[in-house]
Amino acid sequence: MATDARKKEILKGLYDAVVDFDEDKVVELSNAVLAEDVDAYEAIMDGLAAGMEHVGDLYANQEYFVPEVLMCSDALYAGLDILRPHLSGKEADVKGQVVIGTVEGDVHDIGKNLVKMMFDVAGFEVHDLGRDVKLEKFVEEQMKTDSEIVALSALMTTSMLAMPKVIEMIKARNPDAMIMVGGAPISQEVADNYGADGYAPNAANAVQEAIQMISRLREMGKA
Amino acid sequence: MDRVGGICKDKMAPHERVGALMMGQTPDRVPFNPFAMGFSSLNCGYTIESFYNDPQKSLNAQLWTAEQYGYEPVLLLGYAAYGGWEFGGEIKMPTSEWEGAPSVARHPVETEEDVEKLELPDVKTAGIIPISMEFSKLCDEMGLPILPGTSGDAITVASNITDVSLFCRWLMKKPELAHRLLRLATDHILEAYQYWVDTFGAQKIMAGLYVTVAANQILSPKQFEEFVLPYQYELHEKILGMGVQAGFMHICGEQNLNLPLIQQLPLGSPQQPVILSFGHEVDLEKAAEMFPDNIIAGNVEPQIIQNGTPEQVYEVTRIAIEKGKKAPGGFFLMPGCELPPMAPGYNIHTMMKAVNDFGFYD
Ligand code: B12
Repeated sequence: MATDARKKEILKGLYDAVVDFDEDKVVELSNAVLAEDVDAYEAIMDGLAAGMEHVGDLYANQEYFVPEVLMCSDALYAGLDILRPHLSGKEADVKGQVVIGTVEGDVHDIGKNLVKMMFDVAGFEVHDLGRDVKLEKFVEEQMKTDSEIVALSALMTTSMLAMPKVIEMIKARNPDAMIMVGGAPISQEVADNYGADGYAPNAANAVQEAIQMISRLREMGKA
Repeated sequence: MDRVGGICKDKMAPHERVGALMMGQTPDRVPFNPFAMGFSSLNCGYTIESFYNDPQKSLNAQLWTAEQYGYEPVLLLGYAAYGGWEFGGEIKMPTSEWEGAPSVARHPVETEEDVEKLELPDVKTAGIIPISMEFSKLCDEMGLPILPGTSGDAITVASNITDVSLFCRWLMKKPELAHRLLRLATDHILEAYQYWVDTFGAQKIMAGLYVTVAANQILSPKQFEEFVLPYQYELHEKILGMGVQAGFMHICGEQNLNLPLIQQLPLGSPQQPVILSFGHEVDLEKAAEMFPDNIIAGNVEPQIIQNGTPEQVYEVTRIAIEKGKKAPGGFFLMPGCELPPMAPGYNIHTMMKAVNDFGFYD
C-alpha cells in the first residue's frame, strides 16, 4: 500500500504525463497504481481526467492545438486501458450510456472524438457511431442500447440542419431519451430552437451537462 | 447601365468593376461575390452534386445566379476535400439531403507503409482534374478568367490524402512522414498548375491558393512555421513565377496567430495582384493593416447568412463593407467562407442591398 505522499506523487505524475503527452510515463505510472495498491478510480479521476481537463483549458487558451490534444488523448487512453479493468464495485458501475456521432453529411469528427473521450473517462458506456451517421442509425442505436443520452455533433451549417430532424425522430420513438448537441456552429440558442435537452460549448462541459441531464431524468423517475 | 439584380446606381459592368479593382483603381462600388458553390446549383434547380461533376451545369448555375443577384462571378469548380481522390482514394459526392460538398470516402493513405508506397498521380486523369479541366475550357471559350480546380494548399491536400487526425499525430511523432506527404502534395499541385498553364497559357490563369487545415482551430503557429510555410512559400513562388495573371488566396477560419507568417509568403505585386480572402474570425481592419498592398476580401460570417434574419445579415454586411472600404489595396466583399448551400436567397439579396447602400465610393 502506497503512503499518502507516494499516492500524491503518482496522481500528480499521471496528471503531468497526460499534459506532457508522455504515453510511456502514463503506462509506467498506471502499472505503479496497480502494483502499489493505489485506488484505480482515484488514479483515473484525479490523475488522468484532471490532466485532460487541464489540456482542455490549454486548447481553449491556444497554448495547445489539435496535434497536442490528440497526443494527450492517446496518453490518457493508454492509462485508462490499464486501470479500468481494476475498478471495483460502485465505481465500476457505468454512470450512464451515451450514443454519440457526427450527423449525416458531416465528416468532421475531431471534436466529437474529444467529447467521446471525456465520456469514457467519466465512466460512461459510449456507443460511438462515427461520422456521417445516417439519422435513422441514431434512433436505432438509442433503442437498442436504451441509452439515456444521445450526443449529436455537427460542424457545418448544412449538416446542423439535420439535428432538429433527428431529435424529432428520436423523440417520436422514445420521448424520454435526452438529446445533447454540440459543434462549432451550435449555440445554446440554436440548441433550444432545435428542441435539444442539452448543449455544451466544449468537451469538458459536455460531461457535466450530461450528468445534469441524467439527474433530471432520474428526478422524473424515468431512469 | 441597365438595372441589374436590384441595383440601379451601378456605373460599371461586373467585369469592369473587377478589372478596375485588379488594376489598383477605384471601382464605382465595392465588388461582391458570395462564394456560392452548392448554393448556385440548388438555386438553378440542379443538384449540389452537379456543381462538382457536371461542368456545363456548374458553369450555368454560377453565371445565372450571379446574373440573378447582380454580383460579380468568380468561376470555380473545385473542392476543399481535394487530395484524397486524386491520390487514389475514393470520393463521396454530396447526394443526401444534408451534404453540402464532396468528402473523402476512403483515404489512399491509412498506414505508415502506405506513405512509402504513395506515388504522384497522373496529373491529367487524377480525381476531379478532368472535370475541372473541362470546366476551365468552357470558361476559356467564353473569354472568362480561369481558376484551376486543383488545390493550392499543400497541408490540406496532405491531410486529405490521409486523415486529419492521423496526419496531426504524425506531425508530432513521425514528422518525416508528414513531410513526405507534404512534398508529394506540393509536387502534385505544381504539376497540375503546369498542366493548366500548358493548356491555356499563364496569362489567362488566376491562381487559387488556400490555407485551410493550417487554421489555428487545428495547428499552432509553430506548426504552421514548420509544416505549412516552406511548402506554401514554394507554391506561391513557383505558381506566381509561371506568370499567371493574378491570384486568389483564401485564408480559412481562425488564423490570427498565423498572420505574421502569412506576411512572409510571396503575395504578388501591382502587376500580379493577389486577393486575400479572410474568415469572419480575422478583423478586416487588422487584415488591411497587415496586408496594405493586397486586395482584401471577406468576411461575413456564413452561419449568419444561413440562420440570421435579414436585419442581422444587412448589419454584418454593412460592418464588413465599412471596414473593408478603407483597405488601401482595395476590397472585395465576400462571406468568410463558402456560402452555405441552403442559405435563404433573400439573405443574398440583402447583402446586395447593403452593397447598394454602403458600397459606393464617392
Ligand atoms: C479540420 C477541418 C476539416 C477536416 C475534418 C477532419 C476530421 N476528421 O474531422 C477536413 C479537411 C476533412 C474538412 C472537410 C470539410 N470541411 Co472542414 N473544417 C475543419 C476545421 C478547420 C476544424 C474543425 C475541428 O476539427 N476543430 C477542432 C475541434 C476540437 O473543435 P470542434 O469540432 O468545434 O469541437 C469542440 C466543440 O465544438 C465541442 N463539440 C463538438 N462536437 C460536440 C458534440 C456535443 C454533443 C457537444 C456537447 C460538444 C461538441 O467540443 C469540441 C471540443 O471542445 C473547421 C474550422 C472551424 N471553424 O471549426 C472547418 C469547417 C468546419 N469545414 C468546413 C467545410 C465547408 C468543409 C468542407 C465542406 C470543405 C469542402 N468544401 O469540401 C469539407 C466537409 C466535407 C463533409 N461532407 O463533411 C467549414 C464549414 C462551413 C459551414 N458550412 O458551416 C468550416 C467551418 C471551415 C470554414 N471556415 O468555413 N474539414
